[in-house]
Amino acid sequence: MGQAWNRVLTVGGDHVDTPEGSYPEDGDGGTLEMSYQPTACQHCENAPCVKVCPVNATFTREDGIVEIDYDKCIGCRYCMAACPYNARVFNWEDPQHVPEEGTGDVEERPQGVVEKCTFCSHRVEEGLDPSCVVNCPADARIFGDFDDENSTVSKYVAEYDTHQLLDDKGTDPKTYYIQGEMSPGRPWKGKELEEELDEEPTAEEPADVTGDESVSGAAANPTGGDD
Amino acid sequence: MAGETADRATTSAARAPVLSSFGTVSKAWLGLLGVLLMAGLGAWAYQLQQGLAVTGMRNVFSWGLYIMLFVMFVGLSAGGLIISSAPKFFHSDRYEEFARLGVLVSLACIIVAGLLILPDIGRPGRLYQFFTSPDFRSPMVWDFGIVVLYGVLNLWYLWLLTRRDLAARGSRFAFGTEDTQSGRDRDRKLLFWTAAVALPTAIMLHSVTGWIFATQVGRGDWFSPLVAPVFIAKALVSGLGLLLVVSILADRYTAFDADRDELASLGKVLGVFLAFHVVYLLAAERLPHAWADHFGFWAITSEFLIGDSIYFWLWTGLGGALPLVLLLIPTLRKRLSVILAAGTLAVAGTLFEGIRLVFTGYESVNIDAAPGISLGGEYAGVATDIWATSGTYTPTLVEVVVTAGIIAVGALVVTVGLRYLPLQQPTTQGTYAADGGNEGHD
Ligand code: SF4
Ligand code: SF4
Repeated sequence: MGQAWNRVLTVGGDHVDTPEGSYPEDGDGGTLEMSYQPTACQHCENAPCVKVCPVNATFTREDGIVEIDYDKCIGCRYCMAACPYNARVFNWEDPQHVPEEGTGDVEERPQGVVEKCTFCSHRVEEGLDPSCVVNCPADARIFGDFDDENSTVSKYVAEYDTHQLLDDKGTDPKTYYIQGEMSPGRPWKGKELEEELDEEPTAEEPADVTGDESVSGAAANPTGGDD
Repeated sequence: MAGETADRATTSAARAPVLSSFGTVSKAWLGLLGVLLMAGLGAWAYQLQQGLAVTGMRNVFSWGLYIMLFVMFVGLSAGGLIISSAPKFFHSDRYEEFARLGVLVSLACIIVAGLLILPDIGRPGRLYQFFTSPDFRSPMVWDFGIVVLYGVLNLWYLWLLTRRDLAARGSRFAFGTEDTQSGRDRDRKLLFWTAAVALPTAIMLHSVTGWIFATQVGRGDWFSPLVAPVFIAKALVSGLGLLLVVSILADRYTAFDADRDELASLGKVLGVFLAFHVVYLLAAERLPHAWADHFGFWAITSEFLIGDSIYFWLWTGLGGALPLVLLLIPTLRKRLSVILAAGTLAVAGTLFEGIRLVFTGYESVNIDAAPGISLGGEYAGVATDIWATSGTYTPTLVEVVVTAGIIAVGALVVTVGLRYLPLQQPTTQGTYAADGGNEGHD
């Protein structure tokens, strides 16, 4: 219970859904400001979690996704110390699933191993966008092949102001946060559930997958200030 | 000790164990250690079955007592080996009387350190992958290698130091070695070469253990090039402190005879180590930040002097300044009780230093926006917060019992060593006290 791969943080006040700054009073303009920052594994290029893993249980896939082999992980939690984003969580006890049937298409994790966001590698392999991209009602997330200059994600990153979280740490995340006036992102590929697919996935395999997440308040305020 | 003497040693230096038999007190002590060991095993079994949820660790604060004490025991293992090998390396017999006891204590400490890793591992059954699938970029792999190497080296060193005496007493632990003068001469050369390997290995052990932390960009003050040198200084302080404590206790409760002048001189060395560690290195670490962050002279000075957490003060005050003062005052520093106290405080100080180090890494997180990080513990009801924006940690009883059990293993190693290894003072007479030893000589 209580494990989160993706956390939507409030950038602003000290509490969830609260802004920082002051109300407009006595004719002054207010300074209230707030935005949301979905925060999951950033899939770092220079990933410290990969470098510290003593048994190669955490590794970078060919396509750039940082993944954990749950059959290999010894549960030393060195990678949790290494990850500057606190993106990793540990199975302190035997995991419970809601609903109880299990974890669906996502690989199951036993007690005593570390887990984190996989960019839905099980979906990406089938040519589908990650679930968070498909399910975001504001189309705030864009996912795609960053090696391809013509992919939506490459175009967005080329055109708008972007930043990577904690870029001073030198981890070079493959996740970019985009700011600015823009049209909503477009899903990269199909919306289907992976079990609905035909045998042959129609999409070609991505060479290097890069995700972007637009952070910028709710959908109502796409120009909103970032942290 | 039985008064009977025997003249069977072929050389003049055969020594005897310092515990001639296990008396009532020793047996009670062994019994206590046995109980602790069993309790520790039980607690570990419980933890294996329930998961690490029964510890105080959670997603933000994901390393706790086991790692804090691992760091401490790695440090403690330095003392004996360095005190016995440094003089040998320079072909000196200085501190020879402490060499055997020292290496025994080092061995016990590195065994404890290695064992402390086991309960910290979520799935210890998969540890074999250190051999089948290591990633040589990982400081943990380096540390694993060096801890094992260091343990083996200690074992070899201890045997090399004692094997001729063991042979002289007909002990089966001589493993076929014979007590001859030429053998003893050969061992002297071997000891020099072992010392030549042991010293750099010790330096690597402490540096690599420091680098486990110092390589991490994400955990605040861990990311500092000073961590490795600080770990070496810490090892010198705590290792020597422990050696002094054990020597004085052995002197008091067994036939081990520690020379007072040598103890006082080692006490002085401890003072120098303490000054280097707690005064110099700490200042060197803090000054640049204090200077860069503040403008006024007093602002810089006060930032520089004022510490952060309670563990910082326990370390620098109780475990640093106080023993340093004790060892500086000429009228005090020669007293055994003062040396004992200073050694104990120095060891305790490094414990708090280790606790502080782990806390500085986990106390705060880089991205602390609400609601924070999911803790991953059990959800005990509406009032429980499953989120945290900072790390907190208190060890649970399970952790304490497991740890006590592992430390009992170390104490057991030392106790058995006191009983069966020839640790006694070198004597000039060709006699030694018979002890009704394990191989019924005479
Ligand atoms: S965000 Fe953390 S877990 Fe993800 S790749 Fe980077 S360091 Fe590893
Ligand atoms: S907890 Fe698992 S994934 Fe993380 S460093 Fe240890 S073995 Fe690797």
